[in-house]
Amino acid sequence: MTLHDTTRRDFLKTSGTAFAGAAVLPGFLDGVVRRAAAPGAEAAATSQLVSACSWCGSACGFKATVKDGVLTFVEGLPEDPQGGGKMCAKGKAAAGYLYDPDRLKYPMKRTNPVKKIGVDPGWVKISWDEALDTAAAKLKETIEKNGRDSVLVLGLPSPDVWARFVNCIGTSNRFDHWDECFLANRVVSANVIGGFVWCHDFANAKYIVTFGWDLVGKAKVVWARAVAEAKKKGAKIVSFNPYKAAGTSVIADEAISIRPGSDLAVVNAMIHVILAEGLYDETFVKGLTNFEEHETAIRAHFAPYTPEWAEELSDVPAGTIRRIAREFATQGPAIAPIHKKTPSANYANGTETSFAITILNVLAGTIDRPGGRFFPRTHSIPGIDAIVPPPKYPAKSGVDIVGRHAHPFLKAVGSGMFSCLADGMRKNPGKIQMGIITRYSTMAFPNPPEVEAELAKIPFTVCTDLFPNEIIELADIVLPQSLSYESSDLVARDHHAPYKMTIVRQPLVPPMFETKPLGAILLAWGLKAFPEYWKNADGTPINMTVVLNEKTKRAGLGADFAEMKAKGFVADVAPFVPRTTFPTASGKINIYVKAFADAGFEPLPTWKQKRDVPSDAYPFYLLTIIPPMQIRNTTTNNRIVNEIKGTNEVFINVQTARGLGIAEGDTVKVRSRVGEIQLPARLTEAIRPDCVLVPHGFGHQSRLMTQAYGKGAKDAVLVPGQSMDDILARKDVGGSACIMDAVVSVSKV
Amino acid sequence: MSTYGFLVDLGLCISCSACEAACKTWNNVPTGRNVRWRRVIDQVLGVWPKVSAYGVSMACNHCADAPCVKACPSGALSVRAADGIVLLDATKCIGCRYCESVCPYGAPQYDETEKKMSKCTMCVDRIDAGRAPACVETCPTGALQFGRMADLDRLGVRQIPNFADPSYSDPSIRFVPKEG
Repeated sequence: MTLHDTTRRDFLKTSGTAFAGAAVLPGFLDGVVRRAAAPGAEAAATSQLVSACSWCGSACGFKATVKDGVLTFVEGLPEDPQGGGKMCAKGKAAAGYLYDPDRLKYPMKRTNPVKKIGVDPGWVKISWDEALDTAAAKLKETIEKNGRDSVLVLGLPSPDVWARFVNCIGTSNRFDHWDECFLANRVVSANVIGGFVWCHDFANAKYIVTFGWDLVGKAKVVWARAVAEAKKKGAKIVSFNPYKAAGTSVIADEAISIRPGSDLAVVNAMIHVILAEGLYDETFVKGLTNFEEHETAIRAHFAPYTPEWAEELSDVPAGTIRRIAREFATQGPAIAPIHKKTPSANYANGTETSFAITILNVLAGTIDRPGGRFFPRTHSIPGIDAIVPPPKYPAKSGVDIVGRHAHPFLKAVGSGMFSCLADGMRKNPGKIQMGIITRYSTMAFPNPPEVEAELAKIPFTVCTDLFPNEIIELADIVLPQSLSYESSDLVARDHHAPYKMTIVRQPLVPPMFETKPLGAILLAWGLKAFPEYWKNADGTPINMTVVLNEKTKRAGLGADFAEMKAKGFVADVAPFVPRTTFPTASGKINIYVKAFADAGFEPLPTWKQKRDVPSDAYPFYLLTIIPPMQIRNTTTNNRIVNEIKGTNEVFINVQTARGLGIAEGDTVKVRSRVGEIQLPARLTEAIRPDCVLVPHGFGHQSRLMTQAYGKGAKDAVLVPGQSMDDILARKDVGGSACIMDAVVSVSKV
Repeated sequence: MSTYGFLVDLGLCISCSACEAACKTWNNVPTGRNVRWRRVIDQVLGVWPKVSAYGVSMACNHCADAPCVKACPSGALSVRAADGIVLLDATKCIGCRYCESVCPYGAPQYDETEKKMSKCTMCVDRIDAGRAPACVETCPTGALQFGRMADLDRLGVRQIPNFADPSYSDPSIRFVPKEG
């Protein structure tokens, strides 16, 4: 039996046990999974369960309605001050993921040896035992024969069970998407304010200025709601963005067009004005930062960055920059957010842009102050290693295929570098003998075809995932993971955490089909591959329920997990006490970062151009957005959000299109130095004439994703990858992935 | 005048479509048939760089003088006497699509599978239980609001660019125009 041939009838058959007690599936999925076989033995019952959304990291609380064992509706949890009872389209579409008939349902192995995207692997269903016996044997054999670093892991450093599993392998070749997201911001924040923070107190800000940042337009409820609240309370919002239909620009009092990749120039010019006119928060800056120690160097550094200089680079009038700088410094509390991606990962100068914006916040005196960026107050939930201490892990070589070890700051973080993966694999042919990939699509990489070509060469790959995205076509074994709606966890709040808050994640329904939660998969796999690490001191296997109970107890959330489930949401409301010292070595904020200078990098944000700039061959800047009803490429197959926006298009300025002879709906070819896509043209007055915009997350190639397959095209095809040499050559201390750093030509097909 | 209506604050609608997903899941509206009781219509006015962009979340406007009800030959569409909510009785609908042709907002949706119309009920079940419609309840920015028309009349205007002339059917929707 292959997944490809799975029909609705098969879906119901395989789901028989999962729907025990279920009478009727939600009507909005009618036509997808009509009526489940109803045993009818169990009495009809409706329950309301509290849980946390998992489609983005902010984890909004919700109440789920479960009728006769079927999840029918989710609504925001009003007592949760983060979501405040609101949910976005992705979160509301919960049942659309759970009851997606395209879900991975059981372990599978390939029968077709040809590994290539678009070629049917010939999946056959296998048992969990066969899957994990094979995966464990391969893992042990690969480590023994080729060494620990011959195992490539594409997965995050968390959760704790995953970290334990990767530590057992002991490879230095673990990579994730951080460089495409917030790695640069993380390096900057750690060195300037002492730590990376998600928290932005928009609701209490009086002045908000954003540079490409568009978490409002992404409908990240925690921010969209807070920015809207600030606006209602009279805050001024200024959005610099070359696309005026971006959510933040829509909501802003002033939407200012800016040349892509020039935000750094404008921010440095704002700093210039604030320093020159003495508008910074003197008490904060003199008392809590290293400003006085390096004042001469700092003033000399920003002296040349005049608003007139920035106007040349950004097209933002010098007078506007001067006015915004003055307003920002004097009409606070003021905040300039940096979350992720924009502005830290988009361009070759993303790190410096994050650096400059961080300094802007410091000068406004709002770090860890109401209305500013602040450190989260969180419950301390111990990880599995604290509860069941492992034997000593094998030592890691510290040398990886992309060369993070050559970069002092990226080596220290030990994450990221998807942007360099294809280059690293090309330079180390035959090095990687086994791949383990968890919940990543090749769409998550710049230039996916070159990454796919390299991943296809790995002799044996295991994928764990929720949905059959195209990356599984490069796998030998696929392990089906349960959704968060079928899993248990404790989620300590870190996106809006002025005081300690933890929300429960609890199974709304039992795991469907033969899926298993990630913890159960890794425990079972670990017991076969590295048994000594997955047992208690007395030799019995680790029990994840016991671990979860212990976490609950040690975090002070309740006697056990059952109590936490009953509580749902725990908030230890306490007054917000602003920090007077910061978690840097000196306890002070570093405006001037000596550690950067000592390692040969710039100690202050120094202007540099983006990587790719328009030319005769490629005259347009490429922009992307993540549409608010989708989360990158992971939600596209959900019928509910797919119906709202299931494909993409290329947005072109009306005048520009006219000049190119392109009319609304025409198929156009967008080409960069590395790739080419074709999409229908959407003409708009909301974009700069020198830019085109391709929304991200579409163009899935997996036929098993029946809703998403073949709809739209991948913006990433147009974006060049890079190498660690590139990063070192431009002295990029934070390793921006340059995920929007491309220029393109556009022509009618 | 209808008792209740919607208010859309154009300066706050970010086109996120949480309203549509809420509508779909609360009301069990089928997917895959382009039956969308509520949707966000993106608007871009002006010429670059002087443009004003915003979304308008729109469903049935439960018009006080509803042309769909007048056009319906089978009595499937009716106005609830107590509060003016326009409701469709699918058992009486013959799928003639007259309502669709007279509605200036495209509110009645034709379901090809059922060969019948389908439309927004203003979440009448929730209203009767003292709750706001599902779309309003979830709106992250508060752009979409619900209330008594007497209150909404004080908060918003009847007409915005590209919106059908309200004098035609007296729709129960008001707008807070976007500044700038």
